[in-house]
Amino acid sequence: MKTRSFLQFVGPSVVMMMLLLAAPLVITFYLSVRNCAIEMEIVKVEESTPFGVKETVTQRAKMDAKGRAIQNCNFIGLDYYRKVLGLDDAAPIEGGPPPDVTSATKGIPAAGEKAGNEFLGALRFTLIYTFVTLPFVLVIGFLLALGVNSVSQRLKGVFITASLLPFIITPVVAALSIKWLFRDNGLVPYLLSHFGIQVFWMAQAWSARLLIVVYGVWHVVPFAFIVLYAGLQGVPQDALEAATIDGASRWQKMRYVTLPHLAPLIVFITLIHMMDAYRVFEPVIVLTQGAFTTSVQYLTYHILLQENNPYKASAAAVLTLIGIVFLLIPLLVKTWREQKQGV
Amino acid sequence: MTLNLNLNAHLPRRSVVALATAAAMAALLPGMASAKCADIAGKGDINIVGSSMPSVQHLAKEMETCNKAGVKVAIKITPEARVETERAFGSDGKSAFDAAIISGGLYSNLAAKGQLQPMTDLVAKYKTKFKIEDNMLVKSNGEVLAIAYQQNAQNLYYRKDIFDKLGLKAPTTYAEMLAAAAVIKAKEPSIDFPIAQTFAKGFDISTEFVNLYVGFGGKLFKAGTAQPAFNEEAGIKTIELMKSMLPYMTPNALASNSDDVMNQFQQGKAAMGVLWASRAARMDDPAASKIVGKMEFAAAPAVMPGGKSATHLWWDGVAMPKNLTNDRDVVFQVLMDALDEETTKAGNDSTIWIRSVYKPTRFGTGVVLSMKAGAPIWPTEPYVGLATGELGKMIPEALGGSMTPKQALDAAAVAYTKAATEKGFIK
Repeated sequence: MKTRSFLQFVGPSVVMMMLLLAAPLVITFYLSVRNCAIEMEIVKVEESTPFGVKETVTQRAKMDAKGRAIQNCNFIGLDYYRKVLGLDDAAPIEGGPPPDVTSATKGIPAAGEKAGNEFLGALRFTLIYTFVTLPFVLVIGFLLALGVNSVSQRLKGVFITASLLPFIITPVVAALSIKWLFRDNGLVPYLLSHFGIQVFWMAQAWSARLLIVVYGVWHVVPFAFIVLYAGLQGVPQDALEAATIDGASRWQKMRYVTLPHLAPLIVFITLIHMMDAYRVFEPVIVLTQGAFTTSVQYLTYHILLQENNPYKASAAAVLTLIGIVFLLIPLLVKTWREQKQGV
Repeated sequence: MTLNLNLNAHLPRRSVVALATAAAMAALLPGMASAKCADIAGKGDINIVGSSMPSVQHLAKEMETCNKAGVKVAIKITPEARVETERAFGSDGKSAFDAAIISGGLYSNLAAKGQLQPMTDLVAKYKTKFKIEDNMLVKSNGEVLAIAYQQNAQNLYYRKDIFDKLGLKAPTTYAEMLAAAAVIKAKEPSIDFPIAQTFAKGFDISTEFVNLYVGFGGKLFKAGTAQPAFNEEAGIKTIELMKSMLPYMTPNALASNSDDVMNQFQQGKAAMGVLWASRAARMDDPAASKIVGKMEFAAAPAVMPGGKSATHLWWDGVAMPKNLTNDRDVVFQVLMDALDEETTKAGNDSTIWIRSVYKPTRFGTGVVLSMKAGAPIWPTEPYVGLATGELGKMIPEALGGSMTPKQALDAAAVAYTKAATEKGFIK
């Protein structure tokens, strides 16, 4: 193909990627090594509200000649990365003397560790979620595909639609439904109480995590199902017939004909699911509000919106990105090798 | 002259339909009777942002009837209103919104950054026209920076029927509350967890902490600075008190937010607790509540006998940014027109209004009683949000037992100091 035609075909795509992927990434990285703070001064203010008048000593921004707050923006290098990873203990960003807040206790290392481990804790839970849901998604999706494949032609449409439903429901709505099922006075605790089992699902780590994993499996199984179902339609019939003639059992036919044929699809599902699961967010924010189950995406969101610190959030976002690159390296290397060998 | 009362007369079909439609419309759209912006001078395409509180929804509906030529009002209702307001008011260019409906806490942040448009002259100009009342004005060093229209607080909810049955009085201190809970747990078979309160990680638990902490004489910050002072004796006592409540609360308490607590009350699973007054009306919602008419409201209990009611007063109101696009005079008129006496009367039950024409319902009793019992206003320092953010993360660790109260408070203090230094409050 002529270079010009090649560029014309590829051009729009590349431009979109530059604008929507590369540029934001560069900007995020740029933000993650800076910090902007408004210069504050201590003042006495008379506050008058519907509840009365009060004089307080508080802080107000220093204003410049135009009546706008003075902002100090500095390059701070990898300071925010260290903070998010919990690798700095007491020294604040500006490089002043460590604050003397824990004079009465030896708690500083423990405190720093606990607070800083937020990112590592979030990463750990995200990876647990990704790798625990994956096998269930594949197995259940496969069994579902097999099942629907062997259903009569008339009912296939019904079953396919029903199986796809969990994937179509908005994640927030789905997570809310699961929360309402399992919270105090929800349907599940109510039914379990008839068997004398009383579990408080949101109260401990194992149950909260289980709920999120259950949500994850339930939500993604339809995706695996539809891909594998489509794959099952393309299994070579003559190979299957040959296997039957040779006396292969059902299990052997599955193992030697069907599964190898589906192997590339299984890799595809794994790749897509890993990338999606790594970004888990809705169930964390809706089901548990982050208790026991912080994910990396939730952490970035929390820093951005609750702490209102776009610079620290950018650092968390870049770290999240580095995490997913690490996760995907083995698969990408494998794909690259296959391409090189010429498929 | 004869009266032709031919009752069997056949009215032309079109007239019947027209009459029916008119009647239906009159019944369904009472708001149409008084359209807004009738006497506003000026033009503008005005954008306002607010959260999804019932009162904001009511104001939005009223503002949408604005039908003066040249004035268009659009109000964006979003749960991320706080973030959107901070971004818009803080941007270097023009603000995306000409006004915002903000809470007292957000007001403190914005006022500290000097981003609010002073309105003192506009108040003087339009005071009589829109009947702006003095206690609606929110001033900083005499300059009006916001107009408040509603108040809210967490007050005590208690099941009067159960209390009467067991001969209990509404608790005025937390000690009495725990004693009543013990009695109810022992003697009332339908209730396993007498106390329901919002202990969810984050905003909820940090608000509970601050409510109780000041009752122990605690100060959040060292006088005259932004240095934390909450990791001392009073803080430990507060966490100990919260721990002592846990045996009477559902084990899911550490994930219970306002929705969950409201649900526990409505289902008759809890007999008392401190919850936002804005939820009170839902106790009598027959579609969701099994305890209609049985819940009563009182001042939040104090932490010590003779102490002040352990809760804080919040207000919500409207404010304009310094960098607004439209004419501040027109925007101010639109806002005051939306908050006039008529709107208040029309939406009387949607919140606890500050205007004097507000007729208090029984759902507002708790707030009024808490105010009378000395509840203070929520702290106004701009760095309070940073402190509560860290406290909200660490206190559940102490309540869950994985850290001692002192460790959790110290951890919060260290994290808060870092955050406050990043923002420039601590040098």
